Amino acid sequence: MDLFLQYLANGVVIGSTYVLVAVGLTLIFGILGVVNFAHGEFYMIGGYAGIFAITVLGLPVLPAVAVVLATAAVVGIAAEAILHKPMKNRDATSSIISSFGLAVALQNATLIVMGPQPQRLNLDVSKIPVLSSLPTDFGPVFLPQQRTLIPLTMVLLIAILYVVLRYTWTGRSLRAMAQHATVARLCGVRVERVAVVTFMVGAALAGIAGMLMSSIFLVYPIVGNMIALKAFTVVILGGMGNVAGAAAAGLLLGITESLTSGYIANSMRDIVGFVFVILVLLFRPQGLFGKAVDRS
Amino acid sequence: MAALSRRHMLSILGASVAAPAIVRAQSSEPLKIGGMLPLSGPASIEGRQIILGLQFAVEEINAKGGVFGRRIELVMEDDESNSTKGVTAVRRLIEREKVPFIVGTYATGVAAAASKVSAEYKIPMLSGGSTGALATDQNTPGDPWFFRSWPDSNAQGEDTAKAIVEKFKKTKVAIIHDNTNYGVTLAEQVTRVVGTAGGSIVSRDSYNAGEQDFSSMLTKLRTQRPEAVYIGGWAGDGANILRQAAEIGLRAQFVGSGSMLSDDFIRLAGPASEGFAVASLYEASTPNPVGKAFGERFRAKHNQDANTFSSLGFDSTTIALEAMRRAGKPDGAEIQKVLKSGMKDFPIVQGPAGTTASFNAKGSVDFPNFIAVIKDGKRRLDI
Repeated sequence: MDLFLQYLANGVVIGSTYVLVAVGLTLIFGILGVVNFAHGEFYMIGGYAGIFAITVLGLPVLPAVAVVLATAAVVGIAAEAILHKPMKNRDATSSIISSFGLAVALQNATLIVMGPQPQRLNLDVSKIPVLSSLPTDFGPVFLPQQRTLIPLTMVLLIAILYVVLRYTWTGRSLRAMAQHATVARLCGVRVERVAVVTFMVGAALAGIAGMLMSSIFLVYPIVGNMIALKAFTVVILGGMGNVAGAAAAGLLLGITESLTSGYIANSMRDIVGFVFVILVLLFRPQGLFGKAVDRS
Repeated sequence: MAALSRRHMLSILGASVAAPAIVRAQSSEPLKIGGMLPLSGPASIEGRQIILGLQFAVEEINAKGGVFGRRIELVMEDDESNSTKGVTAVRRLIEREKVPFIVGTYATGVAAAASKVSAEYKIPMLSGGSTGALATDQNTPGDPWFFRSWPDSNAQGEDTAKAIVEKFKKTKVAIIHDNTNYGVTLAEQVTRVVGTAGGSIVSRDSYNAGEQDFSSMLTKLRTQRPEAVYIGGWAGDGANILRQAAEIGLRAQFVGSGSMLSDDFIRLAGPASEGFAVASLYEASTPNPVGKAFGERFRAKHNQDANTFSSLGFDSTTIALEAMRRAGKPDGAEIQKVLKSGMKDFPIVQGPAGTTASFNAKGSVDFPNFIAVIKDGKRRLDI
């Protein structure tokens, strides 16, 4: 039982990053209809930005988060200008292919600038006020503070996102766009601004995930490949464009992987998610948490 | 002058361009030798260490007056750890640069593909880091064209496994390996040898290269209480595993594959790398006097310690240059004949004292690997 709880905790930590990356991905798809294969690179750039801010500039954590957010905002604006603005009236495949191209370009640019060797963020938790006072043992479960930080940040960011989507003008216009772009425009929603904001939010969520993960894992130029595939798995499981579904499916995938690794075999963990996706696509194409709607 | 036709004019012009080249070739034009390494792409960290050894060997021989009175010029190609690029690079070196031998390359798969091509041209290749047994196993026994001046991956697995049981006295061994050819081959060899040396394997887990989260795998491993853990895979993953194992409090003797030799590995793993053991061909503190002297000369020039990578690059290059000198002419087939049997008295910097370039029938040199242990952030042989 003790082991089961530890596996569960490990799953929640890794699942929280899936949630952060997948929610951005599903927002961009749900609102703009762009299938963004460069989303894993947003995560990778967030990791490098975090390392740059903390290791090179020597900033404390909160200003470093601001650096990551600023970088993500720039990346989001640029990605929107490349993947959405010139392509929005064309076939969806155009933006899919150009997002692949953007992913490869970003990976190789990073390879040239940062080199191929993996990097790590040295996050000194003892200097962070609230975090350093957190316990590392929760009954039989052991979690270092860097790991505890990840689900906490995830819950906080998703809560903020929920409030923004629900109660602000920007949030309402995002949701209006998701329901029907043309009608939203007729009602006075500034469609261009919504598109930029969507990309910025997506890049920021993925960038924060990348920064947090680089303190427990490593960052290297192609690290985004696998995380993007996992995020797509989560988005399909949760229902394309469904934010709450993506959050639930992300945690579910993390826990499933952890349990597979603990009770079956570690080599099976990456396979499980993709088997799930194939089954879902075959038998419940609207996703585990999606509603099937007939087009009127 | 009007009698000269256009054809005449062209032939005179052609001759005047070609003639100086012919004259120069007969005098002391530099003698080109080939080098091929991954200088960009995923293995560029290693490639950039190895090339220092090649360049150092060439500088030293030129300081002594070169070979046949001619200066040696190293022509480098970048294969990016890619077989297609490697094959193209070998063709270019042989056809355009007319090199008599090639030192290269690091990735075993690329070395295996490229050496097939060079053998067709009767140009010998000397490994620039590839340890996988595949590269020398594909040689025709008794007539190798690909030479490696150190033991292959099977020998490395065997020496490592014996060190676990006999040197560290650990009998309950857990094995973790990635799913690449390199990781699987080493894991199988270690499993076999630990069994015959009197140890037992308590578990075996695999992961995909580049995987990030090992916490659940290591949590499970901790319940099996292994005394030693062997990791076969790339350096980045190994460093990740070490750190996460330290986090969850998995205490055991950790032993890794030869890829985890670099100082980058120690930097990435941090304090978790203390006590980690790895098979090594060369350390600056080597008991081999030839190697020690090389280390001192290298340090004087580069202000950094020579390591396994720079020493193997140095050995492959000096062996080939000496074989060419003994053959008496820059001819690939003649050099291969000397390499096969005529170098048994030539001391090399890798391995224990008295190691020579005595290639076996498959083109590999047999000597025991050192087992280096990391202490205070440095690899040491005396522990």
